[in-house]
Parts: sequence; structure tokens; C-alpha cells
Amino acid sequence: MLYAGWGHFLLMKTFRQDWLANSKNDLLAGLVVALALIPEAIAFSIIAGVDPKVGLYAAFCIATVSAFVGGRPGMISAATGAMALLMVTLVKDHGLQYLLAATVLTGVLQIVAGWVKLGSLMRFVSRSVITGFVNALAILIFMAQLPELTNVSWHVYAMTAAGLGIIYLFPHITKALPSPLVTIVVLTGIAILLQLDIRTVGDMGQLPDSLPFFLWPEVPLTLETLKIIFPVSATLATVGLLESMMTAAIVDDLTDTPSNKNRECVGQGVANITSGFLGGMAGCAMIGQSVINIKSGGRGRLSTLTAGVFLLLMVVFAGDWVAKIPMAALVAVMIMVSIGTFNWASIRNLREHPKSSSVVMVATVIVVVATHDLAKGVLAGVLLSGFFFAHKVGQILRVRSRTDNEGRVRVYTVTGQVFFASAERFVAAFDYKEVIEKVTIDVSHAHFWDITAVSALDKVVLKFRREATDVEVVGLNEASSTMIDKFAMHDKDGGDDLLLGGH
Amino acid sequence: MIFENKVLACVDQSRFADDVTDYAAWAAQHMDAPLELLHVIDRHLEQGSGKDHSGAIGFDAQEHLLVELSEADKALTLTAREQGRVFLNRLRQRALTAGAQVVDVRQRHGELEDTIAEQESGVRLLVLGRRGESAQTTQRDLGRNVERIVRTVHQPILAVTERFKAPERVLFAFDGSALTRRGVEMVAGSPLLVGLPMHVLMCGAQSKEAAKQLDWAQATLEKVGFVVQVALQPGDPERVIANAVHTRGIDLLIMGAYSHSPLRKLLMGSKTADLLRSAKVPTLLLR
Repeated sequence: MLYAGWGHFLLMKTFRQDWLANSKNDLLAGLVVALALIPEAIAFSIIAGVDPKVGLYAAFCIATVSAFVGGRPGMISAATGAMALLMVTLVKDHGLQYLLAATVLTGVLQIVAGWVKLGSLMRFVSRSVITGFVNALAILIFMAQLPELTNVSWHVYAMTAAGLGIIYLFPHITKALPSPLVTIVVLTGIAILLQLDIRTVGDMGQLPDSLPFFLWPEVPLTLETLKIIFPVSATLATVGLLESMMTAAIVDDLTDTPSNKNRECVGQGVANITSGFLGGMAGCAMIGQSVINIKSGGRGRLSTLTAGVFLLLMVVFAGDWVAKIPMAALVAVMIMVSIGTFNWASIRNLREHPKSSSVVMVATVIVVVATHDLAKGVLAGVLLSGFFFAHKVGQILRVRSRTDNEGRVRVYTVTGQVFFASAERFVAAFDYKEVIEKVTIDVSHAHFWDITAVSALDKVVLKFRREATDVEVVGLNEASSTMIDKFAMHDKDGGDDLLLGGH
Repeated sequence: MIFENKVLACVDQSRFADDVTDYAAWAAQHMDAPLELLHVIDRHLEQGSGKDHSGAIGFDAQEHLLVELSEADKALTLTAREQGRVFLNRLRQRALTAGAQVVDVRQRHGELEDTIAEQESGVRLLVLGRRGESAQTTQRDLGRNVERIVRTVHQPILAVTERFKAPERVLFAFDGSALTRRGVEMVAGSPLLVGLPMHVLMCGAQSKEAAKQLDWAQATLEKVGFVVQVALQPGDPERVIANAVHTRGIDLLIMGAYSHSPLRKLLMGSKTADLLRSAKVPTLLLR
């Protein structure tokens, strides 16, 4: 009883800290974020090829739900570009209902990932891959704006330029008003006043006219459907978790507070399931918006909740006005987001950083931009960094030798790491043509990591034996000797036949 | 680690700090124990500054923000650290003047209750003000930290009031429970209150059991040289004890504290908190 009471007490404490400790700043920051989220959610719906309504409902659902169940207070999750890009083909080929089903399945997969604690796999994603991911994301967001900027009248260019001008210069006048909001209001005003014939949000599809309501995705519950949506959902789940984990790490750094990564995985899943059932698309954490939130003073869960709720209220009750926003204003906001997301320092660092890191970063970017799939980019990056690491560690191997006992014995001293990447160098380091009675291989300062290393040692021993040279292996340290005991053959009868026989 | 069985005094930068130091010095002197003054700098990482609502992010927004935020934190920490150091040194001098033998100071980052929970090993007595910085401006009788801390620690706590006065008459609010019985044994075994007249007061109807308990308490205390007066009075404990404190000129109250769960407290209210409020004298809380 006492324990339960104490738990209740602690729960109250974290509740206070997560929700109420920063309420005034959270409310204001949430409002700022909501205003910046509207253009983004609309833009990402357009990328995915669905009505703006779908992105806006998703933004509302994901922000609201993750405020309660997420593992990182103060992080903003909503409909994102990274996810939108992965849905394009599914929407084009099968329609919205399949997207909603895929969204629900994405959520389920993410919850499973959270339960089996896949979040810890993030440690295999190196810094260079993360930088590449972020840069690729920024480039994709920017590229997605290009259709709005090609084959259009000069009015659009003028409007976009003016929008960017307001976004970056207005904060020098006052920081009390969000400059993206000012941009949208001013550009909409100009477009209406001058009756410019340019595209508006209303031209892009349906806007929300009511609060979202529960609906079951209208897809046949068959294996066929699963075959269609599963690959998309798996990619969505991976990319969503990757971006969410990265964003959580960024927010951790910025606020100097820890987060619960596995709870965040589950939270993302619950949010996506909710979104799918309420007619929204899949989403994840947003780097740009989370930075805006922290910058505006948001720290607690209340900021995320405020962002979601205000977003929906504004869109539902000012829908007619939202429809009149010129696309040029949205493009300006999205260009700001891509510029703010891109890691510009990484370009400067290209020359200073080790070549392998730069190659990993650039390769990640190239693969993503070529395939429009962040998951493939990250996979390429992780593989490459694995190769480079193995290569580097493989260099840490030295074999030195000297003769002993008046030229009867040669002693080889091996130091360093012997594994698949260095096994070949290890084998080549011995002189098999030397005419000598006995060879001693001292591996007391070496580590044998895998079967490749063990079979390399076997090979060396057998090669010497073929030359009628006695071999003695000394100083197998603890780690190496356990490996040898398990896998080696040379100290067992008939080892020679097994390894070299039959060739 | 160096100081075993120390008196730990929690001070914050409020006008109550001097009184806490005085009482802690008094206790340390009588117990012949080293004194440590603990000042916790609360960092409020969960609060943002909220000056910039521009919503715009430019080149390398994340890096710039990180640099900006860590610079701001650094500046805050530096000021707080220096202020705290000067403040603690002044209190240290005060405690030494008041007669404490060995006085050490320590500043920690974090939350008060977490810090105390971490620092608890090796502490024999915890001294804290009933009210502190947060209660300085409000007219609350009991600071908001008191209950949380008292529940956190497992050592006796001296919750002191304003204006130090070396205790001369002690009232032991005895109820025959295991907690207060242990308290009697502890008081008997400790040099802290030796030589002071001790009033042992039990609330409740006359009964054989109560009389037996009181006799035991009296015998235990008299054996080590206390001059003991026992009394058994019917009525509401809060009023009876407050009344006794007032009429007998008591300046130190001993009682058990928060033996029930917080949940029960939420429903029924807390006897401890009520007593702490109504008895306006320093109180030694038994855990």
C-alpha cells in the first residue's frame, strides 16, 4: 500500500513536470508551432497526392496523441515530408483507403518495434548517416516545392521571394509574432487585393470542414491487401522511427534532459494508428518544428498538445480563409523549413572530416535523393560505415618476426585484431618458403574475433606443416582461446584432411 | 563518505536559512557530530525561456539554438554557483561561531528531494526549515517541500521555525505506536536532549494499556537521567498537543511523522501536517 502510494506520488510529480511546469511558454510555443504546421501539413499532403484534409487531420491526431503517449516531452510530431514521399506510389496506384490501412499497419509495426526495444539499434546509425539523413530530407522537402515553381507566371516568383523576405527579415522587427504567419497573411491579402491568378490551397483539394471522426479504412481484409500495404508500412515504420529517434536525440541535446526512446516508439505507433482510423496519413517527429518549438520556449507535453488542437481549430473554423492562401506562401514556408533543417556545417566539414565519414554522408544523401526513400539511404549509409569501420580496425594488425635458437626457430609476434577484414593480411604476413625447423606464433597480444580469424590461423599452421615445419602457437589470450576451442581444427586429429583435403 | 553520522542542514537563500543554521549548529554541538550545510541549486530544465516567438529557422538553426541554450544555462549556473558559495560560507562562519565543531558545505544541482535521498547515507539528523524560499512570499504555514522531503528520508528530521532559541522544555507526543516507541529509545540513547525536562503526552481515554505504555516510556527515559513528566489526556490530539505546547512553554516537540501513505493523506488529511501547522515550535519528526 505504501509502495503504491509512493508510486502514485511519483506519477503526480512527473505529471506536473511534463505538463504544467512550463505552461505559459508551452501554450505560446504550441501556438507558434501550430501556425507553422498548417502550411507544412498542407504541403506534405500535396506531396503524397492526397487532399490537404488528410495531412491536416494527421497533423492534429499525431500531435495530440503523441503529446500524451510520446516519450519525449516538447517534441513535435505530425504529418512529415519524409513519410509523405514514401506514400506517393501507394496513393497513385491504390488510392486513399489503402494509405489509411497502411498507416494503421505502420502504427502496429512501430508498437512492436517499441516492445522489442528496437530503439537501441539506433546506436548503429553513425553521426555521418544522421547528417546525411537530415540533409537528404531537407533536399527532398525543397525538391518537392519545385513543381509549384515551374511553368508559372512571374507573380509566383515575386510572391515566393517576398514571402522569404518576410520570413527572414520580420524577426528583426519583432519576435513576438511568428513570421511564417505574417508571410501567409500578407501574401494572402495581396493575392486577394490584386486578384492575382495564382494557385491557392483551395485548388489543391478538400480542406477539413468538421472535426475528424472514426472510420474504418475501406479495404478488403485479404492477404492481397496485406501484400500491397506491408512493404510500404514497413518502410514507413522504419523511416518514421528513424526520424523520431533522431529528433528526440536533438531535443535531448537542446534541452539537456533525457527521453524514453522505447516509449517514443510505442507512442509513434499509437499516434499513427489513431491517425489512420481518423482519416489521416502516417507521420512522425519533425526536426524543423521541434527546433521551432524549443526555440519558442516550449518544453513540456502541453506544447505538443496545444500545437495539435490549435491547428485543427484554426483550420476547421477558418477553412474558407485557408483555402485562399496562395501556394507561393506555402512554398516560402517550406523553403524556410528545408533551409533550417539542412546541416550547412556539414558542407564546410566535408574537407575537415575523415574521408570515410564524408563518403558515408554523401552516399546517404545520394541514395535518398535518387530513390526518394530515406530508409534505403540510411541502409546504404549504415552498411558503408560498417565497411569503413571494419577496414579501419583491420589495419590494427602487426606481425613481426625474428630468428631464435641459432637459426632453428623463427618467432612470429602477432599484435592487433584478427577478423574477416584482416584475415587475408594475417595469412600473407608469414614466410612459408623459409627453410626452418620450427615456427613459434605468439598471439598473446592479438584478438581473434570470428571464425574467419580462426580458420586463417589454421591455414597458417597447416601451410607450415606442409613444409615440414613444426608450429607452436603460444599465448592465446582468454578471448582468443575460447574462440579457438570452439572452432579450431589444427590441434585435433585429422585437422589437415578436413581443412585442405579434397582440394 | 568522510563524515559519518553527520547533521545535514538544508538551506536555501531565504531569511529562514540563519535559523536553520543555528538549530543545526545547536544539534551538532550537543550530538558532538559534524555538520554539513547543503544548498541545492534547482535548475528547472523543464522550463523554457520563451523570448523568441518568430517561428522562423535559418541556416544551421539547430546548432545555433544549441549554442545559445547552453550559453544561457552556463551563465545561469555560474551566477547561481558563486552566489551559493558566498552564501554557504557566511552560514559556515555562523555555525562555527554558534559552537559547531566541524562544519562542511556542499552545493548540488538537481531537485531537493532527490538530492537528499542521494545524500542520506551517513546522516544522523536532518535539519530543515518549515518554510523556505518558496514560502517566503506566500503566507503558507508549511513550505511545499517539507512533506516531500520528510517522506523521502528515513532519519529523524528537525523541522525548525523562525528565530532560534535553544530548546529548554521538550514535549514528546507519544501514542504507543512502534514508531514513537522507537523514538523514545532513540531519545534515551542520544546525547541531543540530555538534561532537558521531558514532557511525555499521550492523547486518548484512560486505559490500562495506555498507562502501561506511558510507564514504560517514563522508565526508559528516567533510566538515562531525564526528568520526565507524563500525562494522558483525552481529546483531539491536534488540539491537546497544541494546547500543551502553549501552556507549558514547550520549545521542542517530538512526534512521529507521515506513517500513512500519500493516497490516504489525499482522502483523510494528514495528522502530521495538521500538527506541524498548529504547533508553532521546532519539531523533531521521527521516521
